[in-house]
Amino acid sequence: MLFPTVQFAIFFPIVLAISWWLMPRPSLWKPFIIVASYIFYASASWRFVFLLGGVTLGNQLAAVLIARTEDERQRRLLVGGAVALDLGVLGVFKYYSFFVQQFADVFAHVGLGAPLPLITIALPVGVSFYTFQAISYVVDVKRRLVKPASLIDAAVYLSFFPHLVAGPIVRAREFLPQLSMPRNPNRVAVGSGLALIALGVVEKVVIADYLARAIVEPVFAVPQAYTGPNLLLAAYGYAAQIYCDFSGYTNIAIGLALLLGYVFPQNFRSPYRATGFRDFWRRWHMTLSRFLRDFLYIPLGGNRGGRLATYRNLMITMILGGLWHGAAWTFVLWGAFQGAGLVTEHALGGRIRAPAWLKWFVTFHLIVFGWILFRSESLHLAGVFLSRLATIGAPTLWTAPVVGAIVVVIGLQLIPEKPLERFQVRIERLRPALLAVGLAIVILFAAATVPSQGVPPFIYFRF
Amino acid sequence: MTNAPPPSGPHRDDALMNRFDRMGLRCFRARDGVLAVLLAAVLLVVSQGDSIRKAGEQMNPGIGREVVLGVGRPAAWIADQLPFAGVSRAATAWLSPNPSLKGLQGFSSRSAATANSGTPVVTPEAFDPAAIGAKPPPKRPLHTLLVTGDSMSMPLDSDLARLLAPKGVRVIQDPHVGSGISNTLLVDWGKLAGLQVREDHPNAVVIFIGANEGFPMPGPEGREVECCSTAWAAIYANRVRQMADTYRQNGLARVYWLTLPAPREAARRSIARVVNAAIEVGVEPWANQIRVVDTVPIFTPNETYRDAMSINGSQTIVRQADGIHLNDAGSSLLAGIVLARIEQDFTD
Repeated sequence: MLFPTVQFAIFFPIVLAISWWLMPRPSLWKPFIIVASYIFYASASWRFVFLLGGVTLGNQLAAVLIARTEDERQRRLLVGGAVALDLGVLGVFKYYSFFVQQFADVFAHVGLGAPLPLITIALPVGVSFYTFQAISYVVDVKRRLVKPASLIDAAVYLSFFPHLVAGPIVRAREFLPQLSMPRNPNRVAVGSGLALIALGVVEKVVIADYLARAIVEPVFAVPQAYTGPNLLLAAYGYAAQIYCDFSGYTNIAIGLALLLGYVFPQNFRSPYRATGFRDFWRRWHMTLSRFLRDFLYIPLGGNRGGRLATYRNLMITMILGGLWHGAAWTFVLWGAFQGAGLVTEHALGGRIRAPAWLKWFVTFHLIVFGWILFRSESLHLAGVFLSRLATIGAPTLWTAPVVGAIVVVIGLQLIPEKPLERFQVRIERLRPALLAVGLAIVILFAAATVPSQGVPPFIYFRF
Repeated sequence: MTNAPPPSGPHRDDALMNRFDRMGLRCFRARDGVLAVLLAAVLLVVSQGDSIRKAGEQMNPGIGREVVLGVGRPAAWIADQLPFAGVSRAATAWLSPNPSLKGLQGFSSRSAATANSGTPVVTPEAFDPAAIGAKPPPKRPLHTLLVTGDSMSMPLDSDLARLLAPKGVRVIQDPHVGSGISNTLLVDWGKLAGLQVREDHPNAVVIFIGANEGFPMPGPEGREVECCSTAWAAIYANRVRQMADTYRQNGLARVYWLTLPAPREAARRSIARVVNAAIEVGVEPWANQIRVVDTVPIFTPNETYRDAMSINGSQTIVRQADGIHLNDAGSSLLAGIVLARIEQDFTD
């Protein structure tokens, strides 16, 4: 069940009304929201609700056992077991087919058969997100940042439908305290919720999907057929598309959670405004970058082991972060590129003095270069794309709507943040009835731009 | 990235959570929120009620479909009684990315569902010259190739486009995800084929479709015929025939119609078997212009499903996890086979 679909438009008002009706009685509200979330998840594939349930039970058991012992060795073993369970789930469902195929190819070169069965395994929607949340839960319990929750609270935390399938990756210590008491029905951010949902629908349905159809998909599918100007526009187009797609999802998720009375962490902060790689990762998919920082980079040693160890840790973190996005060499290369960017920046240590606009310009184009690796369907096609960037040809795809959409998406991020925030606050303070009419009009116009085959899934659903 | 501070005291990530408070949030009552969402829903029902019903009709059978139709049918009735639907359609029609199929002959408006009366006449076009040892027609250059179908045609369309791009062939990729020949609600392939031919005049068409078949179709007497009887197969074959006739453009174009490799699920496999049989029968009158590229012996010999097969001596996964579609490796293999077949009819 995608957010911008008729099914969800029927599901959500019912859940919202019942949720607030039951909110004063947590013993009823919590089972209700779990059932609603599992129905939401089962609409993608009912089989995977058992996987979600299993991950919840396994991690909850580990969290309780960790809290019961003071023995550090046992605590480490327990957290190791829970993390192994989560990574095992990820490994089997997300990476098995990829790695077994790579091994089969290597074995075939030396005349041997495939070492493991060559089978395909369906990827459960959202598995990358809820396994990471589960890891953050047990590790935070082990670090004594949170106390273990009750089983029902842990189940709500991991399955809560607004963040279930594509984040944001909400930490246990951010969500569990909100669960500990009923939400105040007199303090609901209705304006913010409705405005964020409307913004998310426009970002996803109107902009991201339009750019995908008009330029990104055709050009990235067959880069051989296009010359430099069109390839360049497709690269800019993808930068705008992936931002609008993911930011659109996040805005809808945060808006839905606000209407239900819950706050999620921020996930984007004008990422194309960044003036360096480090700055970019503080603005792009912020909940993933802090997860990688706290659960991978720092446990690897962070910056405590000297310069070379820091570089190694940055590279490992970003390569694994790249691989998290999908089982393909293009994601690994993209991660390595991001790691190399961070290492270079670290090595230079601010020794290069350059005007801010130049730093922005260079950073932006390096990020766009990274997106070419990220979006290409194979390393070969990434190579074709890059090798043809310098070819001369007519800019046949540079139409006003495409260029306009890209300029608006990138340009809005370059405007100073304060005036935009003030504008946002002014909108969010409008009366809910007025915002509801606005939301209906936005959905009406956005729906008119949807092709007959419907709204394509969010890009991050695949991750 | 820097190392974490000690666990006590305010955390640096708190800024990610308290941004709404920072901005001076105005809060309302939960009741206002529920009423606002319901108001938005009511406005959408009165202006788009029919779309909800249509969305339900396009869904696969199941509880989800019943729920959407349960809301959609009364919503459509309400919308029909009020003037808002027409106003909203008029206001938003210009935004639609869908091509207009008005004026084109669809399945419902032609005799696709009925058998021809009288004894059918066999024409020379029913014979492939190569099959009877006759002289083949001279090869022609390939200028425009249309690759179309449902999601089965992806990423085959991109693979063929990549293979043909260096030869200067214009490849039009026109997949219609989720559509089916037996389901005209999403796309009427009878009309769409006409539009594709009218707009692009391709001199070759590759069509790979059948992942979403099995819907009931109106039979000769107007009654719905359920899948997968011989009556259903006949209706399907007639629809294939209508499309094939459109695509071949009176013999000016060659058509390459791909059969479905057996899917993993038994229920889908029985539909695929009927679809494949209907394709064979549907294109029979034009064997010299329409080639059936049978994917069953390539990917699923004896209709036995397999995830992997040997390609160049290496075991390779060729199917996607859904057990229906080909993955990149499978599609790439198929593109090579289709291209070889195209090259028998066209010059380089």
